[in-house]
Amino acid sequence: MNTPQTLDLQVDISQTNPMPLRGSFSCAPGQMLALVGPSGAGKTSMLRVLAGLLQPENAKVSVGSHTWCDTAQGLHIPPQQRRVGLVFQNYALMPHMNAVDNVALAILHLPSAQRLQKARDWLQRMGLTPEQQQRLPALLSGGQQQRVALARALARQPRLLLMDEPFSAVDQMSRRSLYGLIADLRRDLHIPIVLVTHDLNEARQLADKLVVMDAGEVLQEGTPAHIYRSPRNARVADLVGIPNRFHGRWLGSRGPHALPEGFAWLEWLPHAEAKSGLALVVKDKGRLKTWGQPVTWVIQGDGFHVNPSLTDDATTDNQRLVLHVHVSALRSLGEISLASLTLAEPAGTQLQLTLSGTQRQNVQTGQQLTVSMDCRWIHVMPVRR
Amino acid sequence: MALPCLDSQENIIDWQALSLSLQLAAVTLALLLPPGMLLARWLAYTEFKGKYLIEALVVLPLVLPPTVLGYYLLVSFGAASPLGQWLSQQGIQLAFHFSGLVVASVLFNIPFLVQPIQRAFEAIPANLGEAAAVSGLNAWRIFWRIELPLAWPGVLSAMVLTFVHTLGEFGVVLMMGGSIPGETRTLAISIYDRVQAFDFESADRMALLLLLFSLLAVAASFFATARLGRRR
Repeated sequence: MNTPQTLDLQVDISQTNPMPLRGSFSCAPGQMLALVGPSGAGKTSMLRVLAGLLQPENAKVSVGSHTWCDTAQGLHIPPQQRRVGLVFQNYALMPHMNAVDNVALAILHLPSAQRLQKARDWLQRMGLTPEQQQRLPALLSGGQQQRVALARALARQPRLLLMDEPFSAVDQMSRRSLYGLIADLRRDLHIPIVLVTHDLNEARQLADKLVVMDAGEVLQEGTPAHIYRSPRNARVADLVGIPNRFHGRWLGSRGPHALPEGFAWLEWLPHAEAKSGLALVVKDKGRLKTWGQPVTWVIQGDGFHVNPSLTDDATTDNQRLVLHVHVSALRSLGEISLASLTLAEPAGTQLQLTLSGTQRQNVQTGQQLTVSMDCRWIHVMPVRR
Repeated sequence: MALPCLDSQENIIDWQALSLSLQLAAVTLALLLPPGMLLARWLAYTEFKGKYLIEALVVLPLVLPPTVLGYYLLVSFGAASPLGQWLSQQGIQLAFHFSGLVVASVLFNIPFLVQPIQRAFEAIPANLGEAAAVSGLNAWRIFWRIELPLAWPGVLSAMVLTFVHTLGEFGVVLMMGGSIPGETRTLAISIYDRVQAFDFESADRMALLLLLFSLLAVAASFFATARLGRRR
């Protein structure tokens, strides 16, 4: 940590056997990257490649100036020599060793007394009492075992910390305190941290960066805000669970009237096979060329304003659209409510909005509402075959 | 069958046979344990085509009549076979010698030693070894600090089983060694000889001795295994 060089994690991998794994991403020190995707997307395999437990077909993995794997050069540093901390999904603590010995296992190169002292220090930092430190893993709670596993991973002063579904087996209360612990560690450690999770809320809450994976392939890398606002394709939108996803047709400049430079027409279709729909004005990023091309588009909740007092004639420009909706369902999720709204046009289209505060107190099931939609939040994606 | 020796007639228990049985059990265990453990670990951790064939070979002595195994050993190591001739040229006599009993016992006990140890290694979660590797432990240290302590109950019961089983071995020993006092007459053979000679008092005592010792050893190993198991 005292060398001024960059300590970024850089990964570039491409393999087809034994399972497909493809893509590249990077993670800066102090940054937390979450690998997200459905089960079987290759998240854990990716983590195992980083740890050196899996030897990939073609890959380059480096942390700062240390190259851990470069298949082009025939280089594969074994996990023992990587100085990588890995927290396993079910902790993988040694059942025959108490917490202190489990942590001391990672620093066997130190003299015995120093090793035990260091192990105790780490466990204390993780919040385990001296009495708990002497217990076998089976006599510790899930959250405590997780802390022991974390202490073991960190005791070696790793250059990279990897965590595989670290919170999946702990209860909600320990989870919240673990979040706090990890936030503190992240600030103090200044190493890249890679987290595997299938919990998107967790990923959004904890990570600075998401890497969306599906079927072994990295589909998109970016900040949570960026990915939620502009998913690269429909699959990403699906995987990260963007609720408001619609069918459309790309009209480009050939709409109801001429548009200034950098804007284009998008036809909002009620379903993929629909002949006609509602024309919207969106930003033209130059990615879509073909007129009439079928597209999928998404819009974040930020683009909507529920305003029951607004009337028809409030439509000011093409970028702000007033929609007449009917509240078909309202579900309370604690602090917020999830409203399902049915649009009058395009007929039958459903909109999902989260409401909070005074906004939700004024809305009831069965009610007619007007909702304004800010088209600048619209993100258009080509339909993938 | 050989007649009971006159000098041992005075002793109710054939101490020489008991001592020979104990020696045979100890030497068999010492010779079989290291390669048996390697084989067990290899079978537990490696998947390959035809593994079932190796596993079948390992179990074979368990299902084969001891006389069949003993017969093949006698035929292959006897003076008439090329292997036996070659061995005798090297000055090694196996048939009707203690060394022959050792070879037979080692082969006969493979399933008793390998199977429990293999199961014990298989029961260790794979990610413990990976966690140890990521923690910087090399393969040797992983074996000593993680695998062996975790597999120890299985190793212990395999050792007791092999030892006790060798003590009570009869068929294969008889085929390979006959009943030469001080050389190949083990306790089980001695009991058989006494019964043949209608010396039931002696047979009774020795049978009881073997029964109690075996029971004690197996019970002790079960007790130790259960205690080790509880620690987790």
